[in-house]
Amino acid sequence: MNEINITVTVNGTEINAKVKPELSLLRFLRGQGFYDVKCGCEMGDCGTCTVILNGQAVKSCITLAAQADGGTVWTDKGLGVCDDITKRLQKAFVEHGAIQCGFCTPGMIVAGKAYIDNGGRADREEIKKAISGNLCRCTGYKKIVDAIFDVAEKIRKQE
Amino acid sequence: MKSFNYISVVTLNQALEALQQEKENACLVAGATNVLPFIRYKKINNKTLINIRNLKELRYIQETDEKIFIGSLTTITDLEKSDILKKYAPALVDAARNFADPTTRNSATIGGNIANASPAADTAPPLLALDAVVVSVSKSGERKIPIDEFFTGVNMTALKPEEMIKEIEIPKNPANSHSHFIKLGLRNAMAISIVSAAAVLEIESGKIKKVRIALGSVAPTPVRGRTVEKLLMGQDFSDKVIEKASSRIHEDISPISDIRASREYRQTVASVVVKRALQKIGGIY
Ligand SMILES: Cc1cc2nc3c(=O)[nH]c(=O)nc-3n(C[C@H](O)[C@H](O)[C@H](O)COP(=O)(O)OP(=O)(O)OC[C@H]3O[C@@H](n4cnc5c(N)ncnc54)[C@H](O)[C@@H]3O)c2cc1C
Repeated sequence: MNEINITVTVNGTEINAKVKPELSLLRFLRGQGFYDVKCGCEMGDCGTCTVILNGQAVKSCITLAAQADGGTVWTDKGLGVCDDITKRLQKAFVEHGAIQCGFCTPGMIVAGKAYIDNGGRADREEIKKAISGNLCRCTGYKKIVDAIFDVAEKIRKQE
Repeated sequence: MKSFNYISVVTLNQALEALQQEKENACLVAGATNVLPFIRYKKINNKTLINIRNLKELRYIQETDEKIFIGSLTTITDLEKSDILKKYAPALVDAARNFADPTTRNSATIGGNIANASPAADTAPPLLALDAVVVSVSKSGERKIPIDEFFTGVNMTALKPEEMIKEIEIPKNPANSHSHFIKLGLRNAMAISIVSAAAVLEIESGKIKKVRIALGSVAPTPVRGRTVEKLLMGQDFSDKVIEKASSRIHEDISPISDIRASREYRQTVASVVVKRALQKIGGIY
């Protein structure tokens, strides 16, 4: 078997692993127990596997695990412990009822965090664009947009 | 059984060494947004994946007095944010803004988009309309391939197995020239185009001095609308002239029916999309 050694820091913990070259970052993360990274379409369409790789949001199902070698990955769960914007988003999602089945939630929160990190404002149209790569089949999106709007508004007011 | 080898490179020289060594076996991986779905659906197998995602020296947008240079590892997000492109190649920025979704745009590269050579590749019509040149490179040196000779078929290009795209050169158009890109999809986000069109227009004292039209998703490769260009050259710019010429776009295209739209629908809307792209530019004057 052609396996390669990789070292990836996930949610602050360094992980050494042997992986096949074609393994996706998504399957690697779930194999390591990061079950908050959901496996949806595995084609880049649904966005529920979104994580932050080296500071940028990516869909982990269309990223090779090997490409994360030497890099840093943050998932929704890890960000929820260390990152203030994510903490607020998680709370706002609960308060706004933006979670029904919850399957899209980790990806939605990471996409929302990336939007606010990049200077995104409390603008419903812009928020819709920011989560356009994330599918939700329960909520109709309104409550998700409301939750991100709420956090963006509070953060921009503080600045 | 899936079976791949893997080489990760961080310099151009290492990439070229790896390509020279692997030749037909090589599969470059940049953003992986095309490659990973292909692996999953077994469209590719038994290859050596050459990871070029961290090849930072090929990620840039630069300008000289006459030209713009875009490194092949430049992401679609980079294109979207570039002030140089906003000024000299707005059609490419339009394409970047309508490309997939913001998260996918962080990974997807311009080199991967044109090397993949989908008829629906969104950066292709703007690059065709802007007279771009693809600069390829291998151990034996560099080669310049005009973009209208680059696409040779569905998922096929003029690149040799040991070559890769180094950068894309775009000549700067005169200040009185403008460009625009329109993508018609089944919805606004995350859509593969049904028809897309890019146009470049230079109007001087009311007359069309230069015109370029290019379309996506209406032929095996992205194509130029040369019949319509000829009809428009030297004409007085008016909505009527644009409408009449655009209605002849069917002579330049050969669309098929697929899951997204029928051949007839594409024939009809192609003329509308071309007309709108040209009129939008006309409106800027
Ligand atoms: C959810 C989703 C939405 C998408 N939406 C769009 C869209 O709206 N519009 C659109 O046009 N495309 C879209 N795509 C397709 C894809 O994202 C683009 O084609 C993207 O630009 C590919 O770039 P990449 O860096 O990911 O390429 P990769 O997948 O890494 O590579 C693609 C191909 O190019 C080759 N390659 C890569 N870099 C080079 C180089 N420098 N020199 C030579 N060969 C090279 C690779 O070997 C491979 O054959 C979408 C894909 C997904 C998954």
